[in-house]
Amino acid sequence: MAPIVRISNLEKYFGRLHVLKQVSVDVAAREVLCIIGRSGSGKSTLLRCINFLEEPSFGSIEVDGIKVDSGVKGKEHRQLVHDVRLKTGMVFQEFNLFPHMSVLENVIEGPITVKGMDRAKATELAEQNLDGVGLLFKKDEYPNRLSGGQKQRVAIARALTMEPKVMLFDEPTSALDPELIGEVLNVMKKVAKDGMTMLVVTHEMGFAREVADRVLVMADGEIVEDAKPDALFSSPKDPRTKALIERYRTGAN
Amino acid sequence: MIRFHAFPYPAFKADHMSTDSTTAPVSKPVLSQAELLYEAQQRQTRNFRRNVSLSWGILLLILLYLFSGQSFLGIRTIRLDFEFIRENIGFIAEGIPQTLLVSFLSITLATFLALLAALGRLSTIPPLYALSTFYVSLIRGTPLYLQIFFFFLALPQLGIILSGLFAGVIALGLNYGAYMSEIFRAGLASVGKGQREAAIALGMTPWQTMKRIVLPQALRFAIPPIGNDFIAMTKDSALVSATGFVHEVMWRATRVGRAQFHNLEALIIAALFYWMMTIILSYVQGIIEARLARGDR
Repeated sequence: MAPIVRISNLEKYFGRLHVLKQVSVDVAAREVLCIIGRSGSGKSTLLRCINFLEEPSFGSIEVDGIKVDSGVKGKEHRQLVHDVRLKTGMVFQEFNLFPHMSVLENVIEGPITVKGMDRAKATELAEQNLDGVGLLFKKDEYPNRLSGGQKQRVAIARALTMEPKVMLFDEPTSALDPELIGEVLNVMKKVAKDGMTMLVVTHEMGFAREVADRVLVMADGEIVEDAKPDALFSSPKDPRTKALIERYRTGAN
Repeated sequence: MIRFHAFPYPAFKADHMSTDSTTAPVSKPVLSQAELLYEAQQRQTRNFRRNVSLSWGILLLILLYLFSGQSFLGIRTIRLDFEFIRENIGFIAEGIPQTLLVSFLSITLATFLALLAALGRLSTIPPLYALSTFYVSLIRGTPLYLQIFFFFLALPQLGIILSGLFAGVIALGLNYGAYMSEIFRAGLASVGKGQREAAIALGMTPWQTMKRIVLPQALRFAIPPIGNDFIAMTKDSALVSATGFVHEVMWRATRVGRAQFHNLEALIIAALFYWMMTIILSYVQGIIEARLARGDR
């Protein structure tokens, strides 16, 4: 089966800084892929290139049959980028809920404004997803009344309500108090179980080990290891992976 | 708030809280400690407010005395013709609606221009950026008084005859718009990058992102400073009287003052009216700000 996400020869420069070097990854449908690595390794940039929050310098991105070459400009390119964004949902480290909208309004905003869905249908869909993350009872609250964990769960519901083919998680638990991490990871597990294709940039090794089908290790803008979690965590091949896993092991306990 | 030791600390009177005298007196002191502290704090706040009001009253009395025409210990005060004031206060008061109208129309125009200028300033399209900075630079680099005359004198040459009112509104609007563009720029900048990214990731176009996500938050940020500028504008609107065609408070004061050689009295009446207007508008603004703060999200 053709991969649902295909990243080919991706290069990204920030000014003179070379942050992604010839990165190529295929992700199969329903696969959960965790991307780990030290900060500055390029893992977030890779994720943000997939929905063009960062425009790649070279290479191409293909999501669910829509292929976008980088380095191209113009209307056609913008349309392709837009199509890719409709296929992907993103969850940010800092939640980025819209503070001037209630929880429900946050979740229906995308379907209504972007897809032109009618309000009743969007609301129905939104309520299903809010129920899915266990926060339907908060639908009329404003984000400032929610805990960090609740905000992130709403953010997940907001992304899911766009009915994407692929979900991108950019360090979804890094801004959370330790006791709130679990609730978000549980919701993510549930999303994975429901068959969503997920790319997760994370520092949560436990989550990677338990939920991921595959783990990518990034260092210095390159993928240094790409393996099943069991293999990776029990016998890491690259010394940088070893160091990374060791660091978390000692850090966590 | 920190100076607890200054308060009557001991649990001295449980009676002022006790509505029910049959309650066991033993359980009282535990509660009353906190209650007493709270009461003392409340009392301090009340005292502060009362003393401020009192001081205001005294300052007002002193101000009034300065215009009483009395002489005390060789200190002379200003003598006013109250007969003149009584006769002309009505005529000057009739200018209040005009003053408010000019201010209201001007602030509306200014808000609109300020928003456009701020968006232009953030634009990556060179002509738009240039237009915005050019406008702000030109307007901020010349006096408002001059601008008002300019529109009054220049537009007729172009075959555009505007009433004094509209020439004034255009000048005031353009002027305040240039200054207020900074408010909107700050407002737009206050909306974090993450908000835009979240909108873009949902698939919103730049325009949708601006309209649905960025602007509503920026406007919220900008409302209190706009209120400030509106209050300032009620006073600057006095400058349009210079053209002689807008019969607002200042124009009327100057007119009757000059005609009857009572400039000082007339100006003092005008000053009173401006002061009263700004007090009322400040009060209204306070309410709006409190409401915004309450719904802060």
